[in-house]
Order: sequence, then structure tokens, then C-alpha cells
Amino acid sequence: MAAVQDGQMELDAEKETKPEILSDGTSNLSGNTASGTLSSSPLTAAPAGGAPKMEDQQTLIAVLQFLKRNKLTDSVEILRREAGLGEDQEDSQATDGSGGGKGDVDGGDANSLLSRVSITSAAAPQSMCDSPLMFMLSAAGADDQPDVSVVLSAYSQQGDPSLYQVYYSGLKNFIESVLDCHRAELSQLFYPLFVHMYLELVYNNHENEAKAFFEKFSGDQECYYQDDLRVLCGLTKKEHLKGNEVLLDFRTSRFVLRISRDSYQLLKRHLQERHNNQIWNIIQEHLYIDIFDGMPRSKSQIDSMSGSLAGEGKREVNKAKVFHGLLKEPEIEVPLDDEDDEAENEEGKPKKKKTKKDSLGSKSKKQDPNAPQQNRIPLPELKDSDKLDKIMYMKESTKRIRLGPENLPSICFYTFLNAYQGLTAVDFTDDSSLLAGGFADSTVRVWSVTPKKLRKVKSAADLNMIDKESDDVLERIMDEKTASESKILYGHSGPVYGVSFSPDRNYLLSSSEDGTVRLWSLLTFTCLVGYKGHNYPVWDTQFSPFGYYFVSGGHDRVARLWATDHYQPLRIFAGHLADVTCTRFHPNSNYVATGSTDRTIRLWDVLNGNCVRIFTGHKGPIHSLAFSPNGKFLASGSTDGRVLLWDIGHGLMIGELKGHTDTIYSLKFSRDGEILASGSMDNTVRLWNSMKAFDEVETDDFTATTGHIHLPDNSQELLLGTYHSKSTPVTHLHFTRRNLLLAAGAYNSQ
Amino acid sequence: GAHAKMASPKTVPKDAQVMMQILKDMGITEYEPRVINQMLEFTYRYITTIIEDAKIYSTHAKKSTVDADDIRLAIQCRVDQSFISPPPRDFLLDIARQKNQTPLPLIKPYTGPRLPPDRYCLTAPNYRLKSLQKKVSSSAGRITVPRLSVGAVSSRPSTPTLGTPSVQTVGTKVGTPVSLTGQRFTVQIPSSQAASVKSATPTTPTVQNVLINPSLIGSKNILITTNMVSQNSSGDSTSLKRKHEDEDDYDAL
Repeated sequence: MAAVQDGQMELDAEKETKPEILSDGTSNLSGNTASGTLSSSPLTAAPAGGAPKMEDQQTLIAVLQFLKRNKLTDSVEILRREAGLGEDQEDSQATDGSGGGKGDVDGGDANSLLSRVSITSAAAPQSMCDSPLMFMLSAAGADDQPDVSVVLSAYSQQGDPSLYQVYYSGLKNFIESVLDCHRAELSQLFYPLFVHMYLELVYNNHENEAKAFFEKFSGDQECYYQDDLRVLCGLTKKEHLKGNEVLLDFRTSRFVLRISRDSYQLLKRHLQERHNNQIWNIIQEHLYIDIFDGMPRSKSQIDSMSGSLAGEGKREVNKAKVFHGLLKEPEIEVPLDDEDDEAENEEGKPKKKKTKKDSLGSKSKKQDPNAPQQNRIPLPELKDSDKLDKIMYMKESTKRIRLGPENLPSICFYTFLNAYQGLTAVDFTDDSSLLAGGFADSTVRVWSVTPKKLRKVKSAADLNMIDKESDDVLERIMDEKTASESKILYGHSGPVYGVSFSPDRNYLLSSSEDGTVRLWSLLTFTCLVGYKGHNYPVWDTQFSPFGYYFVSGGHDRVARLWATDHYQPLRIFAGHLADVTCTRFHPNSNYVATGSTDRTIRLWDVLNGNCVRIFTGHKGPIHSLAFSPNGKFLASGSTDGRVLLWDIGHGLMIGELKGHTDTIYSLKFSRDGEILASGSMDNTVRLWNSMKAFDEVETDDFTATTGHIHLPDNSQELLLGTYHSKSTPVTHLHFTRRNLLLAAGAYNSQ
Repeated sequence: GAHAKMASPKTVPKDAQVMMQILKDMGITEYEPRVINQMLEFTYRYITTIIEDAKIYSTHAKKSTVDADDIRLAIQCRVDQSFISPPPRDFLLDIARQKNQTPLPLIKPYTGPRLPPDRYCLTAPNYRLKSLQKKVSSSAGRITVPRLSVGAVSSRPSTPTLGTPSVQTVGTKVGTPVSLTGQRFTVQIPSSQAASVKSATPTTPTVQNVLINPSLIGSKNILITTNMVSQNSSGDSTSLKRKHEDEDDYDAL
């Protein structure tokens, strides 16, 4: 049985005690004899009586061990009895099993733990002795049983390879003949089936059949899968698969499809009518069909959600509660002495020295139900310097320009000249006083945006001599001799792909292709720590909005949460199928969003490392993420040139902004969230009316369990302006505290 | 340089044409012309390495010719060495589960800069000078302040030039914000017996007897040139090593 939700009822009670990863196929072997046979299952139990074949025996042994380990003694007895396995056989087989490959495996790859399948060269289609073994590596438990997982993980031979084309064509004909409303949904099957069948052929060394299969059917696939297909096209032998982690993960994880109940029934009936239900087996093995009750989806709805390497997210994945509200700001006394407000002084107004308590706008004393508790995750306490910063922040925010469709921000573009296409990362401090650039020559350069120059702290000998009680001690500790407009930080040994300032402007993080993340001090402009953990290029890093924590994501397909005072990561966010290219903290620092090359965005909970949201819909690797300032929404941009808007609370896509023609590398919301700015490789900055996009969402009813919404095609209305640079791709965007938009990029003279 | 126009197919050797076709098949339409050369060089080196390894394996197995099994074995062994791929997903999920079970540590208040323990930081001085020995002969006239110069091994701009440590209490010129306590460096003055100079021509008129603690070197590619001078220091010659920290991944693909 495919692991579909309505299939649960048909399983016998015994299976429920097993961990969920145990597939229905294997449980059939053990439990089948005890309970009634499953009517729809095409499996037969292990052949009664006659000695099972070599590979079946391996399988049975492995299953036996698995059952033993999980203390399912009755099943063990039954299986042993039925399969005619002796105690000793099992042990010897176990040692064999974990040893070298089987004799009849082509090629004799001795150390391949994965190649446990025998290739039967029978021309006639096999009977169902080769039971389809489903395998899920992702859930807990099976990892400590290499022999079981070895056997179970193989692609078992589903019938005659030369007939694969026939199977696929058969399915294709069927799907084309169903009603329109079902056709779109069932067409989702094509891509995963195609890839899995192709990989199976390659894995079992049927190279010619694989090539023919590919040629015949690759053109039918959706256009947004073309990149994947190109990669597949180059894989014609099993050895090619070994180095490709992404495809290995694809093989072992299950592609999720969401199909309405009606369409599913249709499919099931069709595939079970025929005697030759190879496709059914493959579906059971590699696909996870998430059934929902309701109207079948239209093609456009499906297209908007599909595109990821693992299918869509299962419904229950996006149902976890996410605390997307903001943390309460601490109450700080704001002295209203107008030293900094020169305009008013000029008018000669009397200065009123009145202190006022300003709680940064949150007037209500009640806890926002959507906000996390203050102490949900430990956060650093506010130091005096932080309080001063906050006061500055509040003062600046009073001067903030309110943006809107009639009031667009001015854009100030910082162009890096003579960077020779080497600019790979940019960041601004929150108060826009410093700018950092990461370069392909492994340097990090820091510039001062304001006229105030960058200075280093004095040496210890000199520091001894200054007056520590003076008011301007923070100025005196700086060494004037080292003043310069920019400083260069050396240390990395590979291009620097991510830079991030700390909120208190004392530290700078940089992540590089050399696998390390470095923490630099902006007081001495030297490197303080190198965090080693990813051993592969680290594509992005970001400080938490409160400092102390930072997140990094890289080629090893995980994102890591670090604290500056721990040399090892505190959390590892694993789950993506391909590189993590973009990592962003939620404004309340309790969640981390990661965008990946597998075209999904995942939202992770910092507290326990769980993935609480999976957003699919992009058709290309995701390169930019931005949280809205109120924490409720997420915007993402990818190589397909679209910006997608997501509602975090409900876990749904709420908007699609089309317009860019090339990869979007930068996204930023304005300070109050009314405008979303996006910068792209097509040398433009576009401004979108995010307020309108989100308002339309508020009124919609999200109670539909299917979560399918019709995305209005209103990109044109939401686009407020397109601003071209001469020939400079936009690498970074930043709204100053007063809502001036700063953009940065390297001039590209071609 | 940008993507120049491609060489016309007629004049391009066959191997290069194969490379161009590969790029086209993988959907890459714009590339610098030297990419072809790089691909050819890589291919040549990879193939010859594999074949050489395979020859070794086949002679080890006492076969007369190299056959497919040898090549396969050679490829497998090289894959593990050179093309290391990231860990598999189940392993990552496993360690993630372990790591994520420990609760987040509480943050101690008022602790100043929050950095890992010193041995995990790059803030320690990455050299120290040997202590002054009393055997310095007084016939030496001048006492020169030794200079420590640090030069880069390769063209990577990764080494700052360290300042000159003077003999009094210093430690700060090396730019270490944390270890601001005075470090006293005493320096061994080279003896003036030039006859016993064993070293090769010194490249720089500097540096005697510098001990370097390589584990503290943050930036790579530091080459310290040292002079071994006189029998005073002969006992130290073994401790002097040419410490260069370039990693051997320059030979990487």
C-alpha cells in the first residue's frame, strides 16, 4: 500500500506498533500470514514451502533482524516459521549481508553498501517475489542497522527494464484520458515517476534502457524541471550516482504529492485493475500521496506550489504553531534633550528637558498570543550601550518617512568600482554607518558610510595612559593614527560569500568557501574566532537581531545556529535536500528561515531545531529571504525571477510578484513593512506594494484545510516602480532608519 | 575578461570540441574561453592519475594488463580522497537530532565580549621569542633590535606584517585585543662569531631563534625565515623549523 493517509485503516493492528518507518511492504511479509491478506496489495508473502531465492533470503533476514531489534517476538516467530529460516542461517547471513556485495551484482563493487539488489536478467516480468521494499531513512531508528537499511534501501527490480517505457506510456495514456479536473492533479505524477524510474534503471545498470527511456519521455516534463533533467541526463551509470548527494537523497526520500481523494481513487482503480501494476509498486515505494478531501486543484494552483525537489509539503508539516509575533520591547527612558536635534535649536525654541517613557509603539500590556515568551530562548541582556542604541533608534524612527504607493523612497546606490566581478556579499549596519563587502579574493573590506572614519583601538600601553573617567572615553580609546576610510580584513582562504554586522556594531561575521565562519572585531579590525563546522562552502550567515546568536548555511545541506562564545554549533537544522543558500533570522530571533537549492524554504524553531514550515513553489534555487518587520510574512526570491510572499502563521503562499527577469539576490522590507524592495541581477531595483498584498490576504478565509488559494495575478498592480542601474546588478538592499533605500552592487562593465 | 567569441570549430582540436559539447549539453552557454583549457587540463590530470593508480593495482594483482576492474578500483579510491561529498542525509539528521536535544545554554550576564575559550580563538599571539641567554658574549659590539618579519608564501594577501616587538613590555602591536597583558619578549642576540654561521645566505637580515606556535596561527601562509647562527644556537637548530602554513589544497582541483 502506498503510504497514504486513508490506507492506515487497512493495516492490521500489529503494524501500528511498529515504528512508522517500517513500510507496509515489509510488514506484509511478517504480518501477512497472521492477518488477512491486504486485498489491494499485489504482494505475495515469501514463497511458501520452496527455498526462497538468495535475495529474498537476504531481505527476510534483514527484516527478521529489524523485528527482533524492535522486540516484536511474535512476528519474529511467525516469519521464521513461514520463511523456513533457521537461527544460525540468520546470523551467518547477517555477517554476509554486511560484507561485500553479492556475487551476481554486476561490476563487483565491493564496498558499495547500497548495491544490494540482484539483477535478474529474466526477460519475463518477474512475479512479485521481489517484494517492493519501501525504505524511509529520514525517521528515527533504522540508522543503526546497516544490514537492514542496506537491503531495504536498494532499488528493487520492478519487472523487466525494457518494459519501463511501456509502463510509463500506459500511465501517460491513462492520465490523458481522464476528466480535465483530474488530469492536472494526476499529471503531477509524471515528474517523480519519471525520475525514479530513470534512476532505477541506471542503478540497476540498464544503461541503454535508461537512455532510451530518458530520450523518449524527458521532453514531456514540465519546463521548470529542466535543470534537474539536465543533471539527470549526465548520469548514466550507477557510479555517477555515488558522488551526487542530492540525487541520493532524492532517491531515499519520498516525493510528496497532494492529490484530491477523487483523483486518487481514480488512479488507484486504474492501476490495480491491470495485472501489470509495476507503476503502482513504484508509487508505493517512492511517492507519498497526501490525500485531501475537496475539489481537485487546477493546473495553475498546482504549478504555483510545485517545483521543489521533494514535491510539496505535507499538510501536517505546516500546521505546527509558530510564534511569529515580535518580542516586547523593553521600556527605556528617553531623555528628550535636544543635543542632536539641531534644526529645532536653530529656531530658538526653548529646550524642554522632559523625560518620557517610550515603549516603541507597543501600547498594550497584554501578551500578543502570537509572540513567543520573552525567555523562550535565552537572549543577551541589554547593556548600557545597547540602551543608548535603542534611544538613538527611537529618535531616528520619529523622523522616519512614511512610505506608500504615493510616497516612494529615494534610492541611494553604492556602486563598487574596480571589483572585477569579485563582490560576493554586502551588508550594512542597522544605523547605516558602516558597509562591509566580501570579495572573491577572500578579503573583507569595511567602509565608513558617514564622514566619520574608521579607527582602531589603541594599544595596551597607550590605553593605560588615558583618563578613564572622562566623558568621551569612548573616543579616547581610539587611535587617531589609524583613521582611514576603509579597512581590509584578511584571513579567509576562499571567496567570502556572506557578511553580517552585529547589532551593536562591534563584530562582523563573514562566511567563506573555505568552510569557516569568522568573527571579526570592529574595534581592532582583527579576526577573533574562526568557527569550523561546515567543511564545505558556507553560502550565507547572519547575526540574530539581538546579537550573540548567528546562523550559517552551506553546501553540506544544513544550517547551523551558533553562539559567539561556543566553538561548536548549538543547533543543526538538517532536512534540506540540497545546499542551504540563504539563512535569515525572524525578528523575534526564535525562528530561522533557510532557503535552499532544492527550491524549498524551511522555517526552523531555534528552541528545539524542528522544521515548522516548508514552503514550496519556487522553480529555482532561492537566493534571498526577507521577513516583514511585523514578523508575520516572509518574502523569498530565487533564480526564476519571482518573489513569493508567504504567510507564516498559516503556512501558505499569499502572493507572487513577477517582473524581474533574472535572479533576485536581495529583498528588503521598508521599516514599517509597507514597501518591499527587490534587487536583481537584471540591474534593476523594483518596489512592490507589500501592504496591499498583505491586506488582501487578511480578509481571506484560510480555514480551507486544503490550503489552496487562488493567487490573483496582480503583479502589475503591486509594482510601484522599476529603477534601472546602468549595468550594476543589485547585491544588497537596506532601508535606513528613516526609510531611505540604500542599494549596493559592483559595476559590471560588460 | 568577459566571454570572448568562441573559436571557430574548424580550428579547435577535437578534445576541446568535446568539452564545448559537454558545456552545451549541461546548458552552459556563456563561459570564458579559458574554461575549456582548464577542463582539458583537469581531465588530463585526472585520467593519468587514475590510469597510473590502476597500473599499480594491476601489477599488485599480478595481472599482465590493466583491466576494467583496476580502473574501477582506482576511481573508487580517488573518489574518497579527492572528491569528498558532504555527509549523507541520514547521518546529518542523526547528528542534528542529537545536537538539538540539548537545551540552549543560558547566557551569563555582564561578561564582556562573549568569545569561546582562548584556545578556540585566534586572538593569541602567534609567535614568541626565545628567552635571553646569558651566554651572549660581550665582545659583540652592537646590540641590534631584532626584527621579525613575516612574509607570505603565496600570492594570497592573507598575512599582515607584524610589528616589531621591542624589548620592553609589549604584546599589543600584534593586535590582539584580548591578551593585552604585557608580554615580555627577550631576544637572543646573535653572537658575532661569523665563522660559525652555518646557514645559507640569509634572505633578510633579521630574525633569530623565533619559535612559532603553529596552532595559534590564524592566517595561513606565514613563512618565517630564520637564521641559524653560531654554536650557541646549534642546540636550538632542531627547534627551528621552517614553519609554513600553506595548506596543501593549492593542488586542489
